[in-house]
Amino acid sequence: MPTVELSHITKSFGSLKAVDDVSFDVEKGEIFGLLGPNGAGKTTAIRVLLDIFKPDDGRVSILGGAMTEAKKDHIGYMPEERGLYQDIPLDRCLVYLGTLKGLSQAEAQSRIARYLDRFDLESSRRKKVKELSKGMQQKAQLITTLVHEPDLVIIDEPFSGLDPINTQMVKDLLREQRDKGVTILMSTHQMHQVEELCDRIVLIDHGRTLLYGGLEDIRRQFSGHAVIVRTPNILPTLPGVEHVEQHNSSAHRLNLAPSTNTQDVLRMLVERGIQVDQFEIATPTLDEIFINVVQKYDQETGER
Amino acid sequence: MSKFWRIALHEYTRHVFRRRFLLALFSVPLLMVFMVVLIIVIIRLESNPTPIGYIDQSGLLANAIAQPAPKWPERFVPMTAYPDEASAKADLEAGKLQGYYIIHEDYLQSGVADQVFLKEINGMAVQQFDSFLTTNLLSDRPAEITNRIVNGSNIVVQSVDKSREASKDNFINILLPILAGVLFIVGMSTSSGYLMQTVVEEKENRTMEIMVTSVSPGQLMSGKVIADIAIGATQLLVWALFIILALVIGKSYFPFLGGLKFPGEMVGVIIAVMVPAFIMISGLMAAVGATVSEASEGQQIMGLFTIPIWLPYIFIMLFIENPNSPLAIALSFFPLTAPMSIALRIGFTTIPAWQVIVCVSILVLSAIGAVWLAGRAFRLGMLRYGQRLRWAEIFSRQRV
Repeated sequence: MPTVELSHITKSFGSLKAVDDVSFDVEKGEIFGLLGPNGAGKTTAIRVLLDIFKPDDGRVSILGGAMTEAKKDHIGYMPEERGLYQDIPLDRCLVYLGTLKGLSQAEAQSRIARYLDRFDLESSRRKKVKELSKGMQQKAQLITTLVHEPDLVIIDEPFSGLDPINTQMVKDLLREQRDKGVTILMSTHQMHQVEELCDRIVLIDHGRTLLYGGLEDIRRQFSGHAVIVRTPNILPTLPGVEHVEQHNSSAHRLNLAPSTNTQDVLRMLVERGIQVDQFEIATPTLDEIFINVVQKYDQETGER
Repeated sequence: MSKFWRIALHEYTRHVFRRRFLLALFSVPLLMVFMVVLIIVIIRLESNPTPIGYIDQSGLLANAIAQPAPKWPERFVPMTAYPDEASAKADLEAGKLQGYYIIHEDYLQSGVADQVFLKEINGMAVQQFDSFLTTNLLSDRPAEITNRIVNGSNIVVQSVDKSREASKDNFINILLPILAGVLFIVGMSTSSGYLMQTVVEEKENRTMEIMVTSVSPGQLMSGKVIADIAIGATQLLVWALFIILALVIGKSYFPFLGGLKFPGEMVGVIIAVMVPAFIMISGLMAAVGATVSEASEGQQIMGLFTIPIWLPYIFIMLFIENPNSPLAIALSFFPLTAPMSIALRIGFTTIPAWQVIVCVSILVLSAIGAVWLAGRAFRLGMLRYGQRLRWAEIFSRQRV
């Protein structure tokens, strides 16, 4: 049974339809990406899922049924707009929020001490939250999300404000959580992080689902009939190649005619004495898929 | 410990140990202490211990005894006899006297005495001379008669059922409920102000989203309201302790404070009115906090509630003249004006039981309504950042 099931969810605010018939499942133990441009309805979908907003229509199932107060202790949520009490010491803030997730005072204190140590925040534990840097507050927010060992983690833009070292630490942490069987729903704009971490994704825009499925399946679905060739030589004209375009400084993209076999292209290059340093089937990056799909949808609907 | 109590404890400790709260808490007693010290200093500076002279032409003060010592901090003024006006005048001009009296020969019949001064003798010194005269004129009378004449009459006014009385010696009892009412309202207004501020702050710093995914909005709001009431109660308790301390100390200097009584019925009515009023105002403040997007905006709306709460105070003379007038009764039945109206009336009249029951019932219903309103406003407005929730939306059929 999926950990999260959203089925035909609709939510409007006045005349604005923030989420329009969105459905997706998040399976147990996977990292699932919720993607979309700004204002697409991602945060509203998360809030509906967390029962902060009631949907106008549709059904939500989380951890095996409707949201209950008891289930809140099994969910870790890190909102996009970070929220910590600014004028109290860091450890007091974290312990308080930990106890609201069902931990005893003593348990919350000992777990938070371990996390502060791991996140290199030990020396800042007595500082007021507002005195911490943005990155430090981000790490503190992550502690709040994970301290009660949730079964489901919902995390909005987890990498914003983090330097490369801390970004790597958070990635390792998310993988570690997934390996423990924790289900993670991650909303982000950073497509390379999605490519690195997510197993499956949903892409929404203007409240509607545009793409949904396994990351590899989606890439295959969007891969054109083309190859990427990196060579120091000048490429000759080849039969079956419709046109050649520069892929990057040292590689070219060869768009093939529908009847051309990619293996034939490689053979022709070798036969013509061309030095082939790299030869691969061209698959689009998630960034490209994202831009293509969103722009196409916007053109069709005239929304943007 | 349940989440509800954790929230209440967190909110309580977060506010009670804030410098701003402690400053507000102790500012009232400190102000009282400052006022008392100021009064003492003024009395001390005003009371002039330079002797007052007298020329006794009546012979009534032949074997004069000194007047009783005045209450501290007023200083004793010695009375000096002069055989003639010339010598008294010489001492007055030399600054050895602050003034002198000429007691006429027929003083007992005419009551005429002349007062001579270069700079007017202040009231306290004049009173001491009066006391000096009275003491000497009554020196041969029994003590109880002397006391009776000195203290005057004490007329006691009683209600028909004899449950209430007022007299010169215990007039403070009339003012006590007004004082209690004012303190209650100041206490509940300030602590409800804190409640509103915490709700707005949680919206401003986005803690709200974390909170509502950890606890139910009901737990969050009720925890906050309980903390608010506890903060208000702490404030009132500290102020009450200071007032009691002030009364205990003040009793030895101001005899009228000795007649102070706290009738159980009066205390009961005040508590029965103030507790639901407190919950109602807390609920309203929480609702305001949930609807606005900035603390400053909340303060402005709060002002709209403060005006009706203090409105009866503007009509205080009408309440004193006729505490059972239609206006006074009507204001006792309107939720926001009821607390102050009852506090103003109860010192001057016996409020009929039915009116107390109606007033308390209205306040209890209003408190329930305000908490419901706060809950709804909270669910609708908790995640509205930078955008105010319209009141029409709260009362709409929108699903929350």
